[in-house]
Formats: sequence, C-alpha cells, structure tokens
Amino acid sequence: MKIRTIKYIVKEGFANTYKNILMSLASVSMVIASLLIFGIFLMLIINFSYNMNRLKAQVEIVVFLENNASQFETDDVEMKIKNDERVLTYVKITKEQAYAQLVTQYLDDSDLLVGLTPDFLSDSFRIHLKNVEDSEAFTEEIRKMQGVEDVNYPYESLKKLSTFLNWINIGSMVVLALLLVISVSIIANTIKLTVYARRKEIEIMKYIGASDWFIRWPFIIEGIIIGFIGAIVSFILTSYLYNSVESYVNASTLEYGINDLVKLVPLGSVGGQIFVIYAIIGVVMGSVGSIISVRKHLNV
Amino acid sequence: MIEFRNVTKRYPNGTIGLQDATFTIEKGEFVFIIGPSGSGKSTLLKLMLREEVPTEGEVYVNEFSIHDMPRREVPYLRRGLGTVFQDFRLLPNKTVYDNVAFAMQIVEAQPKDIRRQVPVALALVGLSKKARAYPDQLSGGEQQRVAVARAIVNNPSVLLADEPTGNLDPETSWEIMNLLDEINQRGTTVIVATHEKSIVDQMRKRVINLEYGRIIRDVQEGNYTNED
Repeated sequence: MKIRTIKYIVKEGFANTYKNILMSLASVSMVIASLLIFGIFLMLIINFSYNMNRLKAQVEIVVFLENNASQFETDDVEMKIKNDERVLTYVKITKEQAYAQLVTQYLDDSDLLVGLTPDFLSDSFRIHLKNVEDSEAFTEEIRKMQGVEDVNYPYESLKKLSTFLNWINIGSMVVLALLLVISVSIIANTIKLTVYARRKEIEIMKYIGASDWFIRWPFIIEGIIIGFIGAIVSFILTSYLYNSVESYVNASTLEYGINDLVKLVPLGSVGGQIFVIYAIIGVVMGSVGSIISVRKHLNV
Repeated sequence: MIEFRNVTKRYPNGTIGLQDATFTIEKGEFVFIIGPSGSGKSTLLKLMLREEVPTEGEVYVNEFSIHDMPRREVPYLRRGLGTVFQDFRLLPNKTVYDNVAFAMQIVEAQPKDIRRQVPVALALVGLSKKARAYPDQLSGGEQQRVAVARAIVNNPSVLLADEPTGNLDPETSWEIMNLLDEINQRGTTVIVATHEKSIVDQMRKRVINLEYGRIIRDVQEGNYTNED
C-alpha cells in the first residue's frame, strides 16, 4: 500500500466520522456504555483479588516446639526458619513471653493461672511467608523437624478461600466475555447504519475496481476513532466514579474500624493499565464492528 | 478481447439469464447488445464484470478467465473495464473533478498523473467548465458525461455501458452516443446494452440480439429489428 493511499484512507476515516457526527456519537455512547459496565466488573475483580491476597498474606503459620525441646533443637528450627527464602518475617515467642502474655490476658482471673509456670508452655514461632502458595510445603517441612510439637496453619479455610476466589474469577471472565460480544454486535449494528447510508458509494468503488481493503480501511479507521474516543471518555468517567467510591469506602471502613481489613486499590497504581485495557477493547470493538458491518456490502 | 464460449447462466431461483451464448468481440469494436427487458443483456454485462459467474461455459475478458478466477483479482479485472450505468452512479458529495479523480485515486495513480489526466478526460466529454460543480447541479446528460469521463480516465481497453441513455431525452441521448463513438474511434472497445431503436438503426454498428437468454442474431452494421 502506498503512502498517499494511507493518507487518503486516514483522511477519509476522519472525514466520515465527522460527516456522520450523529451516528458517530451514537456509536461512541455505545462504547462508553459497554466499557463502563465492563469497568465496574473489572474494578470489582481487581479489588476482590487484592483484598483476598491481603487477607491470605495476613494468615500466619505458628510453630509450637515441644516444651522439653533442647536448646540445640530450638536453635536448629530457628536457623531453618531464618534461612528459608520463603519466609518474609518471623517472631520468636519464648515460653516466658507466652507466660507473660497469659498473665496480662487473665489479669482479673489470676487464680486460673495458679500452679502454671513458663515451663508448662513451649517456645513458638509466628511466621509470615512471602508467598501464600508455599504454605503447605513449608508447613510439612517444619513439621518433620526434631523438637517440633505442632504446626498451626488454617489449611481448610484458606483452601476454601482460594476455591471461592477462583470461581469468582471464572464467573467474572465469563460475564466480561459475554459483555464484549454483546458490545461488539451493538457497535457493528450502529456502524452498519453508516455503511448502509454509504452502500451506493461502496458499490461505485467496487465497479471502478477498488480492492476490498481500500474500501474497508476508512470504515476501520472510523471504528478505531470511535472506539478510542469512547475509551477516553469511559476512563475519565470510571476514574471519577472510582475516586468517589474509594473515598466513601475509606470513610465508612474507618468509621467501623475495619480500615485495615478492607482496602480499595488506589487508582494511581492501576490507572495506566486500565486505560490501556480500555483503549485496546475500544479500538478492537470499533474495528471488528466495522469489518463485520462492511462485509456484506463488499460482495458486489 | 472478449470471448464467450457456450456460456449459460442459471440463477439460484431457476431463471435463465443466458443460454449457450458464444461470441467474440475484438479489440476496437463497437457493439450494441439489444433485446427486450429480461432477455439477458444485463446478465451478459454482469458476467463481463464478474458480478456473476457463469454456470456453464467459459468467459474471457482481457487476460482474465471469468469462470475461473479468485475473488481478490476482481478489482484488477474491473480496472481494465470502464463502466457507465443508466443511473450515472456519481458520488453526490464530490465535485465533478473529484468524481473523476477518485477513479484514479483508488488505483493508486501518481498525483501528477491525476492532475494531468482528469482535465483531459473532462475536456473530452466537454465538461471542463463544470469541474467544480456537484452532480446535483448538473443536467442528466451532463451527469452521464461525468460518468463517461470517470469510466475512461484510467484508459481502459473496454468501455461497458448499460442503458446509458435510458434516463435521457432523445437529443441528449445522441450526444452521449456520439461521445461513445468518439471514444471508440480512439481505439477503445465499446459495448452498449440498449433498446433505443432509432440510435441502433442509425449508427449501423455490430448488433448482438438477445431473446429469452439466447443470441438470436449477431450481425455487422445491423438494424434493431430483423427487417432487412
């Protein structure tokens, strides 16, 4: 394809978008509507995963040593934890510290602790891993070590959480895919109207000997322009909506004191990616819509 | 050169467009295709443009085999064929000049060739002064002349005209026919489908007469009817 042909095609694409301004606006609104619905789902998924992962990361593994574990065994376990690459942080709680905790906890019912000395308790380690996925293997390794009485780790609840998260993800993907298909067909129909209005022009071009791509490209450019404008407007609307939702959620979690538990992803950290996703979807929707709607009229 | 060998065209609904047609049109000929509506004139032209594909037989147009050619080559076939229609088929939002230039743009001609050839084509059809006008500011005859200019601007070897005077009054019809004759004098093969008896009778060109999809007469310097 020659440069002047590309110039012609781009110019024609822009000119047609402007000439059919009402049709273009209708198509842009369709793109905005689809992207906004898509965006709501996308932000829900992002925040859901984000909070799930935060929750998972807060889960700790607690290693209890036998209360008669030797100093050598205790050191051995601590070395193992300290040098393991998978460990993010750990805290050692000696039996004395554990006893002190109990004492403060049962200050009012101190008679419950009568006869209990630190020697009845055992040393323990509280561990956070870098990656929650490693928990199972890590737990098993520690459990096998000399002097380890038990390892506490909420397997079941975490497994359920993971499965739940997976289902949510799959479900959302299906909904998103359906939404995209519906949007593309709506856009195709809108562009079909502009193609229909120009069917005579297409027919004439076919008779003069224009190639299919020569006819198709201006429509594709038109679709891309519509999709891209739609993406920009949707992104602005999404940012605005998300910021208001975020400040509302932050205010109310603070009010209920769960602001450590639930947190929205700040837009700044995902905004760029979301805009790229919007732009790609918008442009693909527009151009695929154009190709679909112009196809029928090329068979002359 | 155009050649039809035992060509039959049956449409999916069963109607016969053309039945066992065989003829050859040499380069530089002027041929009238005549016959009543539905006799197969349009089918014949559509086969040459590969708007339709023959059911049986072989069609050759220039170097293309219509009965056996991939869709992607159709534009290249059509670039060698200028076409003029009864309803002019101009782009209403482009000026006369741009309508003609457009035919060159889509074949990716050099801008300097466009600037040189469009005025030549417009001068040939006598519309140099109307270059800046839009189609709806022109009379029917003028619009058809623009269509002729567009059809010849790429120097096609063949000019196909489907009822080119169908929407015009007799005087204007003659102007268009004389124009087509002039183009033919310059070496372009001209094929005109028509049922204008007076024109065919006076011009004394080769006549291919169709009826019910069959060629019933193919004579040089023929009349519209078979009287002489």
